[in-house]
Amino acid sequence: MSASGRVLADLRAHRRPLRLLGASGQLGYGVPTPAFNAGLARKPDMIGCDMGSIDIGPTYLGKGEMATSPESTRRDLRKVLLGARSLDVPLIIGSAGSAGAAAHLDATLALVRDIARTDGLSFRMAVIRADIDRPMLVQSIRAGRVTGLDDMPALTEDDVVQAANIVGQMGTGPFRAALEMDVDVIIAGRACDTGIFAALPTVLGFPTGLSVHMAKIIECASLCCVPGGRDPILAILDDEGFILESMNPDRRATPISVAAHSLYEQSDPFTVHEPDGALDLTNAQYVAVDDRRARVSGAAWHDSTDPTIKLEGACKVGERAILIAGSADPRFIAQGKDLLPKVAIVVRDLVCEDTPEDYTLRFRVYGVDGVRMVVPAGEAMPGEVFLMAECIAPTRERASEVVRTCKQFLLHYGYPGRLSTAGNIAFPFTPPEISVGPAYRFNIYHLLHVDDVDALFPVVVEQL
Amino acid sequence: MKLSEIAQVIRSKNAGPRRLTFDIMFGSDADYQRVAQSPAISAEVIGGLYDVPPAEVTIFPYPVGRAIKIVLARKIMAGDPGDFDVYGAQQHAPLLGIEL
Repeated sequence: MSASGRVLADLRAHRRPLRLLGASGQLGYGVPTPAFNAGLARKPDMIGCDMGSIDIGPTYLGKGEMATSPESTRRDLRKVLLGARSLDVPLIIGSAGSAGAAAHLDATLALVRDIARTDGLSFRMAVIRADIDRPMLVQSIRAGRVTGLDDMPALTEDDVVQAANIVGQMGTGPFRAALEMDVDVIIAGRACDTGIFAALPTVLGFPTGLSVHMAKIIECASLCCVPGGRDPILAILDDEGFILESMNPDRRATPISVAAHSLYEQSDPFTVHEPDGALDLTNAQYVAVDDRRARVSGAAWHDSTDPTIKLEGACKVGERAILIAGSADPRFIAQGKDLLPKVAIVVRDLVCEDTPEDYTLRFRVYGVDGVRMVVPAGEAMPGEVFLMAECIAPTRERASEVVRTCKQFLLHYGYPGRLSTAGNIAFPFTPPEISVGPAYRFNIYHLLHVDDVDALFPVVVEQL
Repeated sequence: MKLSEIAQVIRSKNAGPRRLTFDIMFGSDADYQRVAQSPAISAEVIGGLYDVPPAEVTIFPYPVGRAIKIVLARKIMAGDPGDFDVYGAQQHAPLLGIEL
């Protein structure tokens, strides 16, 4: 029997509190070994890792690349695989490869197969894909079953064509289905982070509200503690609540720190929307067990009458090149706002002599207005600024042409009162122009209204 | 007194690519109550700081976490051309100087 079959049979025969180890909220950025080993010593019933997020922006999804390096990703995968196999408990990984599309999942699976081969591991692995079928999505648009999230404009059929990759966030159901297929390892494409940890308890009949609340906290490892951090965290769940304990003794899960974690990256601290329902934290309670453990209870769950899958898609907008430079000239800095658009016109007149204006060129002056949404009027000017010009153009060559031209004319642009006639900007190195690669934007951030929240995410089992 | 002198945490982050959320956390219930009951954290004040209509600012008092959450729409979707803070993690600065 494989790990999930063994754990399910054990818990079904002898009902007891469930022990879940949240090993990483960002697998591939490092799992601290002492805390992970401390977690293994506590004999968890499963080990879970979240591996992705939409926060990292559209380019990874669009390009099909991981945000983490192959080396660090392999190191983390190996650590959690060896740990889970040493205890013979299920290892569940969600949002594989940063963005969870086919390319990300396949790159993750390739690493897992390579680790299994080199470490002589043998196990049953469930793979759950999260890619959305385009003809189905077009049909859903025509049927009025796709709606925008957070005021996103209506999805068009052209958006579906333009998107380089489209994924849906699977809920808990596909993970539950995989656990019932007697496997050792589950690796899923784009997934709700809660699915990773709520599947095992809900398949065993623990209350859904508590299971999802616990999942929402431990998917971030020890971030809910003071001080917060990425050390693995242990949750012990019973039918009335769960206890949280960081596997790093220096991190304390306090009632306040755990309660405050419900704020993190959420637009509503009392409600978390999932594909098949909503987590309701209105009556959640947080009490101290001791100095570094908190017990949480009271979360409720409301089934949805309108199940939805959150869709994410990214389309290419062009090739990006940047120019980086600095200035320490007070007159240049003071006039920047008026001067930079004039440089852009000089550049345009040169690079568009025989070509249409097919690019965008933006300047950011760090120290003045590079970061903030709104800059208060009348701020004192800094002694130095960092300056970045960013071009997005149809081709890499065109973007490079624009920023190289920009560099030369920004360097030598003459303006009223100029004293430093040998050059306006400093380069930390040359070439100061960098081709960044393709640029993407999210063109799909929508809800797909479905009858069956699990049907889009088939589970395939592979023997390694 | 400025908000930055009484709060333990003042942070911003995306809540999805189209929303920005701010969490203001306090070290004691008294500090939390003082700010939660102050008119200084209002939709009008926050809207003014971020140049958005007060109707588009949502404020959640969250006493169980001794915190106040503020949510508003991003002007540019995270990662779109022209975005300047993909994670939204550096938009908190205007809150620091709020006078209580």
